[in-house]
Amino acid sequence: MQPGALGVEAGATAVRTPGRPALARGDLVQTLGPSAVLVVLVVVFGLASPQFRSMNNLHSMVDAAAVLAVVTVGITFVLLLGCIDLSATGVMAACSLTTSLLVANTRNALDLGVWGVVVTVLLGGVFGLLNGVISVRLKVPSFMATLGVSAIGIGVATVMFAGVQPGLVDPWVSGWATQRWFGFTQLAYLALGCIIIGWFVQRHTRLGRTAMAIGGAEDVLILSGVRVGPYKVAAFTVAGCCYGLAAAMATSQLGAGLVQAGGGYTFASITAAIVGGTLLSGGRGGVLHSMVGVLIVSVLANGLVLIGVSPYVQRGFQGLIVVIAVGGAAWPLRRRLVVVK
Amino acid sequence: MSQLSTTPAIPDLAPPADPAPRRRFRVQRSTLSGLAPLVAVLALGGALTVANPRFIDPRSLSALADSAAPLAMLAIGATVVVLCGGIDLSIGALASLSSVLLAMWIPTLGSAAIPAVVATAAAAGLLQGVLHVVFRIPSFVVTLGGMTIFSAIALVISDAGTVPVTDTSVTKWAFDRIGDYIPTSVILVLVVVTLVTVVLRVTPVGTWIAAIGYTEPAARLAGLPVYPVKVAAFTLSGTTAGLAAVLLVARTYAGNPTMADSLLLPAVAAIVVGGTAITGGHGGLWRTMAGAIIVTMLRVGLSVVGVPSAYESILYGVLVIGAVAMTIDRSKVGVIK
Amino acid sequence: MTDDSFPVLEVTDLRKAYPGVIALDGVSLSVRPHEVIGLAGENGAGKSTLLKALVGLVRPDAGTIAVRGRQVRIKGVADAAGHGIGMVFQEQSLVPNITAAENIVLGFEGAGVRRGIYRWKTLRQLAQVQLDKIGSRVDPMARTETLTFAERQMVEIAKVLAIEERTSTEPVILLDEPTSVLEPEEVETLFAQIQRLREHASVIFVSHRLEEVMRISDRVYVLRGGRVAGEVDPATADIAHLHELMIGTADSGNHYHDDLHSGAVAERTPRLVISGLTGEGFKDVSVSVGAGEIVGVAGVTGSGREALCRALFGAGIVTSGTVTVDGHRIDLSSPRAAVAAGIGYVPSERKVEGMVAALSVGRNVMLARTDLITHGPLIDRRREASLVDFWIERLHIRTPSRSTSIGQLSGGNQQKVVVARWLVGDDVKVLLLDHPTRGLDVGAKSEVYRLMRTLAATGVATVLLADSLDESIAMSDRVVVMYDGRVVADIPAPPGAKPAPVDIVREMV
Repeated sequence: MQPGALGVEAGATAVRTPGRPALARGDLVQTLGPSAVLVVLVVVFGLASPQFRSMNNLHSMVDAAAVLAVVTVGITFVLLLGCIDLSATGVMAACSLTTSLLVANTRNALDLGVWGVVVTVLLGGVFGLLNGVISVRLKVPSFMATLGVSAIGIGVATVMFAGVQPGLVDPWVSGWATQRWFGFTQLAYLALGCIIIGWFVQRHTRLGRTAMAIGGAEDVLILSGVRVGPYKVAAFTVAGCCYGLAAAMATSQLGAGLVQAGGGYTFASITAAIVGGTLLSGGRGGVLHSMVGVLIVSVLANGLVLIGVSPYVQRGFQGLIVVIAVGGAAWPLRRRLVVVK
Repeated sequence: MSQLSTTPAIPDLAPPADPAPRRRFRVQRSTLSGLAPLVAVLALGGALTVANPRFIDPRSLSALADSAAPLAMLAIGATVVVLCGGIDLSIGALASLSSVLLAMWIPTLGSAAIPAVVATAAAAGLLQGVLHVVFRIPSFVVTLGGMTIFSAIALVISDAGTVPVTDTSVTKWAFDRIGDYIPTSVILVLVVVTLVTVVLRVTPVGTWIAAIGYTEPAARLAGLPVYPVKVAAFTLSGTTAGLAAVLLVARTYAGNPTMADSLLLPAVAAIVVGGTAITGGHGGLWRTMAGAIIVTMLRVGLSVVGVPSAYESILYGVLVIGAVAMTIDRSKVGVIK
Repeated sequence: MTDDSFPVLEVTDLRKAYPGVIALDGVSLSVRPHEVIGLAGENGAGKSTLLKALVGLVRPDAGTIAVRGRQVRIKGVADAAGHGIGMVFQEQSLVPNITAAENIVLGFEGAGVRRGIYRWKTLRQLAQVQLDKIGSRVDPMARTETLTFAERQMVEIAKVLAIEERTSTEPVILLDEPTSVLEPEEVETLFAQIQRLREHASVIFVSHRLEEVMRISDRVYVLRGGRVAGEVDPATADIAHLHELMIGTADSGNHYHDDLHSGAVAERTPRLVISGLTGEGFKDVSVSVGAGEIVGVAGVTGSGREALCRALFGAGIVTSGTVTVDGHRIDLSSPRAAVAAGIGYVPSERKVEGMVAALSVGRNVMLARTDLITHGPLIDRRREASLVDFWIERLHIRTPSRSTSIGQLSGGNQQKVVVARWLVGDDVKVLLLDHPTRGLDVGAKSEVYRLMRTLAATGVATVLLADSLDESIAMSDRVVVMYDGRVVADIPAPPGAKPAPVDIVREMV
């Protein structure tokens, strides 16, 4: 009959959505929960392994977390929209090859230095743009679109690799992983810079606030005359740029351009974001939340290795964590969430 | 049981005032899209034959079908999951894990290792289905998680290395030929597809799956057993992943923790290229078979044309995106993120 | 500055029709500056459609809307805002996870955002200006979802008032059932705000609660059947007069097939007994429905009747109480259990919850009762065909064949298929009908009524949530009225001694 405004039919039962007290409680758990988990983990591992407590370990843990942090900053923007991005691995593959082939390397005579990195970041942005356009314009579900783009990225990387590994020669880029200031590599500072910029964009710019609002109530925005399409595409593009930067950083760590440069980052970043409180449903969490998640994932990875757990188990662990986190979040709502695909 | 003779008399209602429904003389969209995969197979086959006349050779066709078999098998169960409106991203990893288990269990169980592995894979699928249904976790999250967990288990128990098969007689039948040209792997795939298709058609389950995939709220309010059906779909997906592992181990004489990982994307491509809508309801198993052939032919075609295999990944990516974009049900679009 | 007698909004002969239903049948009204206009009328009278047309959610088929004497074509919500018209929605339309200030200036941040960067202090000031207009003390920087319901409503009003900044004219504010979920004290606050709103704007106030409408409005328009039934001056008129205008004289003819009524209601064995049922949306409901009885459940938005209906079918949330069918307690945990207990449900949202549009008529008919056509696990296609054909013929479902996709049928025939689903077993005990004639034309409605009568004659206990009070009274043996989740009245409606609609409306509000 008559289409309802905002999907509500005339005659639908109006229900009062909870106000201050109920939400404050839920809020508290969501904001402090992950931090509490982090503290617990640090304490547990600190007690279990003396090596964990060493300054050296802290440095290497932070360095290992740097690339993940940058990837997670990127994916946070997509998650805020309520979409998912499975393309990090593929985009990083292509960008790693790009970095290693543009800056001074063992395969060709190019030596673009910082411009090589800039082009890489831009390339990442192009992949992100592709993700966004396919999702928004072609209306392909984001998991499918980004899965496809990831495959394209891997393919591009494999083609660029052409069987001959491009070794990294550029001293500046190589130096990111080796030069240390106050014990931490330049990678860590790069990551920090990315986090700060990411946080600022998310909290104080139109792109960030709109992305948050889209995840919260996209239909309201559309009704208010806001064109959400461009913002969604922009969010994916920003994510892609982050993946590009992360790829350059990973290349520095690996010392060469590799198709596997992005291996595992898709899943690890999703895990980190969810565990930190940036929910898959969108409109919740943010860059800082995700960073707490990155720390949790990193501490877990580091700690597990130190107590002798196989590194392969880690990935499985991450998978378990994600399933538990999403299931746990949905449990109180289960009677309402009747149709889940 | 319905007793038509004692139906309470509902007097013939007076002919209603509303008009008869509009007649559709143009061909149904579903018929057109139904023929498309077949047309594509023929067109591709034709093109490949032109590029390389030996393509039509029975030996080469047989090799093509054989190489498509593991992929096709993997895609069978996943198609049913997609028909219900979900997705199973764990099929590759589960097949890899199953291959390792098979290789590891043959020494102790002999031939019984095969049913054991398939049963284990089915149980893994069941578990994912239960988590999806009971905890309301979206299927792509559950299976994404499953993918990493299965992969991790496979890497750990195999110590990240290949596990050779000690007694190849156990799996020989899965990589053999009947006569000169008919690969047993293909027969196995055809048997499974036929079995599943028949079950879906002669029991109410096929209608249930379609209803759940198209309009789940209506299916639920008609009293359909939505949750059991979805769990069954995931269980089937696990089963076919196990069977795919058998096919793979038979031809490589070993189990490997990452052997089938790269089959996920081509399997998904097979499903969507065959015309099964990612939104659910619309599609079918034979379409996926056509899709598997198309995907394999495209791969073969690439090498025939001289394109390096590195481009395969790009091909799959473009295929998947294009096919989904074309088959997506636009009326559900408002709901998709 | 403005001439106060010149209308700020003038609607002339507005028309809007949907397939099978005429929502607006030539509505004309006018709103003068600083006026509060009340809009009253039953469900389906056209109030919602009129508001949606004014705010751009719906395009009228004919007629004109003039803002300050200039005819306008309103293309969307943002466009309506440009003309100075804004609506405070019934279901709140705020983005929950951003600040109140952002919501208030959503889409028109102006100086609040410079070069893409948010200037929070400016945003706060901009929002505060609007909040001051209604004297609200809501903190603009609070995250919207942490505010109480009433506070959010104030933010909604402030958001609509922000229209003033975008146009040089004073806005026209549409309030759609703003009080339906408010506590009495909150209603008072709202009324005080509306009085303050007058200074800045004109208001159209829609509510089921007639006392409120009379209290706050300068003039009241009553809609009935898509037209203005009358214009009333609250100072001189009384509620009874309003009721009369709302209901009018129902000329049903044999529309409701009273001749098929099954007879005496007394001494019917109870088939459906609901005791103390409490759950989400309803509290402590106790009702019983006898064999062959049709019980109508009436109530306004928020009454809980829809929630109750779904809960009875296992599709809602129940926390305590019991339901028995023919003496056996039933499991309310899922629709599957309800079907097994002999209950059928025809949902109001046919396209999304009633039928599977892509499947055939035959499959839709048999969807709930495949047990009737299976031997063990196997479907007996011949039995399926004969059973489906039987019911297609019996119910005169107009379809080229049983394999035609149900999406191609007209609305009335689709609804017949959905109803047929519960008839195929000849063993349905209880039928829950949720707005069964919604979206159907007169002819189709009449057929559905006839069907209901004959079913009742076979002993089926029916619960009916009707589209209109007329339908409810005419079809039911009893009308149960719900308000705020509870049953407040149980009014007998035997043929020949039907209650007047006024009596029911009184309980509903």
